[in-house]
Amino acid sequence: MMDHRAVSDNGLILTTSGVKIDVRLPWYRTLPLSVVEFLGVEIDGKAFDLEKLDFELEGKFMPLTSLRPKTNVWWYVLDSGFIHIDSPDFEKGKSYSVSVTVSFKPPYIQGLNRIIKTTKSLVAH
Amino acid sequence: MTYQPKGLELGTTLYSLTTQFHGREYTFKELVRKVAAEGIGPGLEVVGFQSIKGFPVVSDQFKDEFLQLMDETNLVPSCLGINADIRINPDKPMSENESVEYHIRQLEAAAKLKFPLVRYQYPAGPSVIEKLVPTAERLNVKLGLEIHAPHHTQHPDVMAYREMYDRVNSPMLGFIPDFGSTARTVPPSFFEAQRIQGCPEDLIKLAQDIWHQDGDPYERRNIYIEQARKRGFEDRLIMSLVIIFGLFNRVAPESWAEIMHQVIHIHGKFFDFDDDGNEIAVDYERVLPVFVDGGFNGFMSSEYEGHMWNDADGFDKIKRHHTLARRILTSLKGEGNE
Repeated sequence: MMDHRAVSDNGLILTTSGVKIDVRLPWYRTLPLSVVEFLGVEIDGKAFDLEKLDFELEGKFMPLTSLRPKTNVWWYVLDSGFIHIDSPDFEKGKSYSVSVTVSFKPPYIQGLNRIIKTTKSLVAH
Repeated sequence: MTYQPKGLELGTTLYSLTTQFHGREYTFKELVRKVAAEGIGPGLEVVGFQSIKGFPVVSDQFKDEFLQLMDETNLVPSCLGINADIRINPDKPMSENESVEYHIRQLEAAAKLKFPLVRYQYPAGPSVIEKLVPTAERLNVKLGLEIHAPHHTQHPDVMAYREMYDRVNSPMLGFIPDFGSTARTVPPSFFEAQRIQGCPEDLIKLAQDIWHQDGDPYERRNIYIEQARKRGFEDRLIMSLVIIFGLFNRVAPESWAEIMHQVIHIHGKFFDFDDDGNEIAVDYERVLPVFVDGGFNGFMSSEYEGHMWNDADGFDKIKRHHTLARRILTSLKGEGNE
């Protein structure tokens, strides 16, 4: 079952400019980023403007909303991606409710658009 | 030399262990070693895009380590699952030539890892698969169309492949029956998962009743949606059950006999067991004799797919499946000796 896997356990990590959320592709196999779209990122009920967030995969950064043209970038099923949020509002050791909604269209199943929302209570570390 | 299965031999697809692999409980090598240690080989099926980073590129290092692992464990590469990813660009499907190239790269990966056959998917189309036959011959890798619900042997999509197979008449072309296509009921664990999500009992009963009726699965799916809406159920709950019309078919297991001469591998789909060790959704007592009587020589991968809706222990499930299959195969041998 993949519903609880889009956000990783212990996946809220402080960075120099804010936090990053450890996210996983909630599907059994690797997919190209061109079929993946993030639909929502919320912390404690506050929805972030996706246009202002970055996605990190294998050390490379890209705007979170720029995945559609990336037909040659593959998200390996065991790798974490990271959603970066620039904000000074997060405190180490404090617990936050983190929600990520991701959709993907498996490229061999016409018409299927899986949408998975995972919400977890995570302590920033 | 390539391993030649005698009769119906057992095996495992690592896809059954998606929960354990995705959850990073086992690495690829650890999974393979545990399959051997638990005695749920000897056939080993792998989905390329699940198990191999960078697939369809397979590095020489991965190849060497994989072949060593096969030697070490005495497992036999049975089938490589490949994908017809024609919509990598969701707005512009691949051209036929692009799809042929995409499939060739995956066939080369199979040959490199010494898989005797690939499981391919129907969206490839008969024309692309026909163009792959010379490559399959060159690499000595057979092409097996997975017949998965809602498809069945007489479905128009499958008939198009059967007609092409008859015309081309190549030993490299075959079929891979998936037993979800000839199920007798929907797995109870699927509905159990929906109950936990708040799905009411009378909606489940409506879906079950319509699933058990005759007719085209997608027409029955539409009837279900219409009736459920009339009765005022929430759309979110209605839609949570529609996948049963695509994932499980109730076509007669005996229908596989029609294509038996072209069956090269089997997906022994399974989900739940009763107290006597029988699979509840798939009637193995009825389906396995069709393959044994039909003279099938090859592997049946135990393919657990309940991981789509729960996190049950895949190893425990596969061991039960092997126990059931062995019991039936042993009894069939006994009958043959009398």
